Amino acid sequence: MWQYEKKLQYPVKIKNCNPKLAQIIISQYGGPDGELAASLRYLSQRFAMPYPELKGLLTDIGTEELAHLEMIGAIVYQLTRDLSIDEIKKSGFDTYFVDHTTGIYPVAASGSPFTAAYIQSKGDVITDLHEDLAAEQKAY
Amino acid sequence: MMSERERLLKKLSGAQFAAHEMQLYLDTHKNDTAALKSMQEYQRQAAEFHREYEERFGPLSPRDLYGDTDFNWLNAPWPWENESEARK
Repeated sequence: MWQYEKKLQYPVKIKNCNPKLAQIIISQYGGPDGELAASLRYLSQRFAMPYPELKGLLTDIGTEELAHLEMIGAIVYQLTRDLSIDEIKKSGFDTYFVDHTTGIYPVAASGSPFTAAYIQSKGDVITDLHEDLAAEQKAY
Repeated sequence: MMSERERLLKKLSGAQFAAHEMQLYLDTHKNDTAALKSMQEYQRQAAEFHREYEERFGPLSPRDLYGDTDFNWLNAPWPWENESEARK
């Protein structure tokens, strides 16, 4: 189980809105190498892990990825606060806004909604660890 | 300018982060007693900052509500909000 702590892992304090930047950063939320994919990958793979070190590591890293997800959500939220119609149109944020307004939706910067196809969970220790190494290299 | 609340929250987060990173290391080095001691020291600091925060600024986790006369969980600000937004 998880229990919520009412704080971010690191504070997010953005003064100026920037919808263009938000539309790029959202990929770290729901994109192919984002935090949602990372947390689901680790937290799903751990069930079939044969060694206690790996059950522990995947549980503890997967948990931390959820904290990262929350920080990215906060960044996107604060970057799109108090937008004017003009800012929405001029920045190109209108293509996101038409579907989600300023709601936080797990999506890649290129517009594809989040999909579990971004991750794999194979039930084989070597295969899954290789998947994890590759994922971490992509999520630089 | 950081408020007192933000300053304390940052100290708590720093200690929690250090404790968590030591925990990740210990997942694969469980016999490293120096690492265990280090994790426990950060956990001790985090517990202290957590208690101080809870006393001064309200609950961080649902278990902090134990003993409160009011249900303070909904008090602003939420983690993604800033202080001025929370006062609205």
